[in-house]
Amino acid sequence: MSTEIVAILAIIGLIGYVVFFFGAKEPSHQHAKLLLELFGLCLVVMVVAGLFIQWPLHFWWDDLKAFYAVYGFAAFVFLIYAAKGLRLILQKDEDYYDKREVKYR
Amino acid sequence: MTEWLHPALIFIIGAFLIPLFKGRARQLYLLIPPLAALIDVALMYMGTFGSIPISTWHLPFMGYELVFGKVDKLSLVFALAFTLASVPVVLYSLNIKSGGELMSEYLYVGSSLGAVFAGDLITLYIFIEIMAITAMLVILHGGTEKSLKAGYRYIMWHISGGVVLLAGIIMYVAATGSIGFDAFRWDLPALYLPAILIFIGFIINAGAPPLHAWLPDAYPEASYAGSVFLSIYTTKTAVYVLARGFAGFPPLMWLGAFMTVYPIFFAVLENNLRRVLSYSIINQVGFMLCGIGIGTAMSINGSVSHAFVHILYKSLLFMSVGSVLFRTGTAKITDLGGLYKTMPVTCACCIIAAASISAFPLLSGFTTKSMVVEAAVLGNLALIFILLQLAGAGVFEHAGIKVPFFTFFGEDKGLKVRDPPMNMQIGMVIIALLCIFFGVYPQPLYQILPFPVDYAPYNAPHVVGQLQLLLFAAFAFFVLVKSGIYPTERTAITLDTDWPLRVMGAKFMWFLHEPLTNLANGLDHALKSLASLFAGYGGEKEERILIGVSVGIALLFLAFYLFMQMAYTWIFH
Repeated sequence: MSTEIVAILAIIGLIGYVVFFFGAKEPSHQHAKLLLELFGLCLVVMVVAGLFIQWPLHFWWDDLKAFYAVYGFAAFVFLIYAAKGLRLILQKDEDYYDKREVKYR
Repeated sequence: MTEWLHPALIFIIGAFLIPLFKGRARQLYLLIPPLAALIDVALMYMGTFGSIPISTWHLPFMGYELVFGKVDKLSLVFALAFTLASVPVVLYSLNIKSGGELMSEYLYVGSSLGAVFAGDLITLYIFIEIMAITAMLVILHGGTEKSLKAGYRYIMWHISGGVVLLAGIIMYVAATGSIGFDAFRWDLPALYLPAILIFIGFIINAGAPPLHAWLPDAYPEASYAGSVFLSIYTTKTAVYVLARGFAGFPPLMWLGAFMTVYPIFFAVLENNLRRVLSYSIINQVGFMLCGIGIGTAMSINGSVSHAFVHILYKSLLFMSVGSVLFRTGTAKITDLGGLYKTMPVTCACCIIAAASISAFPLLSGFTTKSMVVEAAVLGNLALIFILLQLAGAGVFEHAGIKVPFFTFFGEDKGLKVRDPPMNMQIGMVIIALLCIFFGVYPQPLYQILPFPVDYAPYNAPHVVGQLQLLLFAAFAFFVLVKSGIYPTERTAITLDTDWPLRVMGAKFMWFLHEPLTNLANGLDHALKSLASLFAGYGGEKEERILIGVSVGIALLFLAFYLFMQMAYTWIFH
């Protein structure tokens, strides 16, 4: 694939990132729906581009064409659920340490 | 060839001249040391002081020769990164009123440059300790009671680490007979313990879990500009010394990979933006340590270049959050939101830094982090690769989305504040432009790396793979937020590995202050009353007490002797 196409794909990715912020914000932006559709389009472009690429075959999963898309989504969901689990044990009130500070006579 | 001037000296002398200037003159003067140091390092690249490697500035010390100026390609890259970042960061910090804070910051920068050019272990140790002390002073200048306490905890961590490091250095020097700072050897049994102690001393400075808790504890308590300085120097100096001393040390690879994943969970939960960014430092340094641990030319190049650009975009993230703090007085997500309308420049800079740290193509993180990941691929390290990619999605979560989204977008909390003063904006824009420059055109950076670079980051599989990873992670964020699964921010803190020290340590101090002191007082009282029994034997009160105490101690010894005698009989017969 030529350098120009790679550069265009990179720019599309950056556009997707920026419109995502404005599209996902709340209370809803006046063009939120349009921006989110644009973001969705960027996702589709990346998956389609992945189908036409000669992936270097280092690991078995490089055969799967859209491995990185699936992995990115799954990794993110895993991280959030794991953090939510940790929160039950580790999250305390803001004055947790202040309360445990020992006052001397 | 002219005489070489040590860049650290420019900052250290410059620091002591700060109190001579006031007002506008001080603001102008403040820019001179960083610019002079940057020019100094640039002249070193241009060969003004002779070809690299050079080694100058010796000083005899206790039968050893201290080397203050050992210069090679590795130390030069770090010196360039430190001085290059110092110019916009100082520009950003011109509004600091306290001369003491500025002096601590300049001494801190100067001592980190001293550590980078240190040619022997004693010089290195001295500069690392000065860094710890000056960093504590920077934290104390946060000016709140919290920063006072965090500063004390910071110095306790670093003095402990320093003692471990010093013990290791002494044993290492005793075993090898040389104080030179080169790659450490761990091939002889006599060198195991010293190498491990030095390693522990270094990784405390790098913020490696479980010895990292000082970092998210202390950095958020400095002033809005102080934390920008802190985010740059301590951890990256540790990366430098590890790159020189422990390249290819296998445990470092696994430690680094663990270090990239561990802080993500905490960053996701954290409410204070500067704590989120502090956890993100740990995560990014993890990539660097992993590359150093893999130990190939490509991975070390990747680590060093990643440290270089990380200094830029991480300071930019701290600067944009610092600007919000400067204007609103808070850096908590629960108080912020919707600032993009009134702070457009800060918002744009924050997005550029966030995209850089997430390694979006065309921005600086992409061109450097990919070398570490590629080295893992070429080394067939599948598990390391999977962990690094997981961490890549994690970085994007907390630094790439969470920080800009909840600060500048998100729910509008009604804060109407302007962009910070012009000098702060210019400082941020300079770094933002550098982030874009090294992303689009990384060749100048590749040329100054320790090993020759044969790597082109912009190829189709790499760009598309990375964009799939990031954009689908963003999609997951969107889905989780809309479905209400994404954890909502609370005003809360998350316990970390310093919990035993802070809770048990406080209990131990209480034990020393209350029961132990009571016991001592009780004993004292008992002895005094014993003394009063001997009232008839001495004329003065002091004499009676003396006799009483002597008799008491004699009785104690007798009791102890009898006890030991009994214990001896009981055990051996």
